[in-house]
Amino acid sequence: MTRSAVAAAVEAVLFVAEKPVSRSELARTIGAGAKVVSEALAELEDWYAGTGLRLQHEDDDWQIVTAPEQAPYVAAYLGADRLRLSSAALETLAVVAYRQPVTRAEVESIRGVNCDQTIYTLMSRRLIEELGRREAPGSPFEYGTTWEFLECFGLTSLGALPTVLSPEGVRSDDRVTST
Amino acid sequence: MPVGPRAPDVTVAGFEGPLDLLLELVEEKKLDIFTVRLADLADGYLARVRAMTALPADEVSAFLYIASRLVLLKARSLLPSLMPAEEDEDLDTEEELRLRLIEYATTKGRAEALGDRMRAGERAFHREGGTVDLPPKGGDPDALAAAWLKVLALTRRTDEAVEVPGERYSVEQRTAEIEALIAEQPAVTFATLLGERPTLGYAIVTFIALLDLYRRLVIDITQDELFGEIRIERKGRRMEGLPE
Repeated sequence: MTRSAVAAAVEAVLFVAEKPVSRSELARTIGAGAKVVSEALAELEDWYAGTGLRLQHEDDDWQIVTAPEQAPYVAAYLGADRLRLSSAALETLAVVAYRQPVTRAEVESIRGVNCDQTIYTLMSRRLIEELGRREAPGSPFEYGTTWEFLECFGLTSLGALPTVLSPEGVRSDDRVTST
Repeated sequence: MPVGPRAPDVTVAGFEGPLDLLLELVEEKKLDIFTVRLADLADGYLARVRAMTALPADEVSAFLYIASRLVLLKARSLLPSLMPAEEDEDLDTEEELRLRLIEYATTKGRAEALGDRMRAGERAFHREGGTVDLPPKGGDPDALAAAWLKVLALTRRTDEAVEVPGERYSVEQRTAEIEALIAEQPAVTFATLLGERPTLGYAIVTFIALLDLYRRLVIDITQDELFGEIRIERKGRRMEGLPE
């Protein structure tokens, strides 16, 4: 399989980009249609399988990242610290990740405890963020996961969240769908 | 209500919350989360909550809330005829509590899956780019070479200045020399006065002599452009013949 010229151009732009690049910006930069760019991204994704790189995306934003399998070496090179979270913070993060957008009250209802502290911890670690206010009484904030969350857990997208069987089996309406 | 055997001390650290405790009771007794009569768990739950007396009230209250609902379910199961119709308070049905428990069990499984990934440390990294500030294009390589030659020449001069110590110049002597030179030719450049490789002392004495001559209106000093050649000229003829 040879890489198309568009895939090569997409790869080159993503290589120098310091932050995620949207598909429309890629299309505009390269002068190709959105559909062609999508095919090129899929082509790159296939091509990176088994290499030290991955394509990570959230919605329509794309970035080249290192493969999670190579994390020990990259971390050693960068002198990066390991992420540490309490099990309480992990529970809150799990609710936000799989149920986003979600309000604090909804997280607390599911966990059955006050979540002020864990939400603050996750926000300060840039793992979750405020997405905006919900149109509901009190206009509560809605929370969702961040780009850094995907990176810290080695997920190429929200669609790659680990599938955990709920007691009654997988519930399709429970999974965050990502295109 | 029978008092169950005192359970081992329970700390909040041991449970992530009241639903976690309920879930543990179900798993401890190897019960099916879908079919267990939650009312049957009321006694065990209360026993565990009773062991939490050392905890702050606000932390225990969430446990007490679930405990009270379990007790209500148990009371209903024992005396169904005395309880109000369930459709009035669908919030307190066994089914509602069961759904919450199932949802919590799912969340806990997901949190464990995320925790496994975190502990494995299999994360991604993006390229940390510092924006590189490139110099403007169109540089002149010849100008660079010329500048380098000048630096080399300066270095050479400095070395020689160090090697020839103890030179002595007198400002008066140098002033006389320049005055004599100016008398012969109308103009001379500063570079000519300094010579090919002036020492620091020679350059300073020459400079002071020029300032003195300028002060005495013997010479004019001009420079056409920044860093350009400095020209030293004899004062115009009109000055000659004027009384001192």
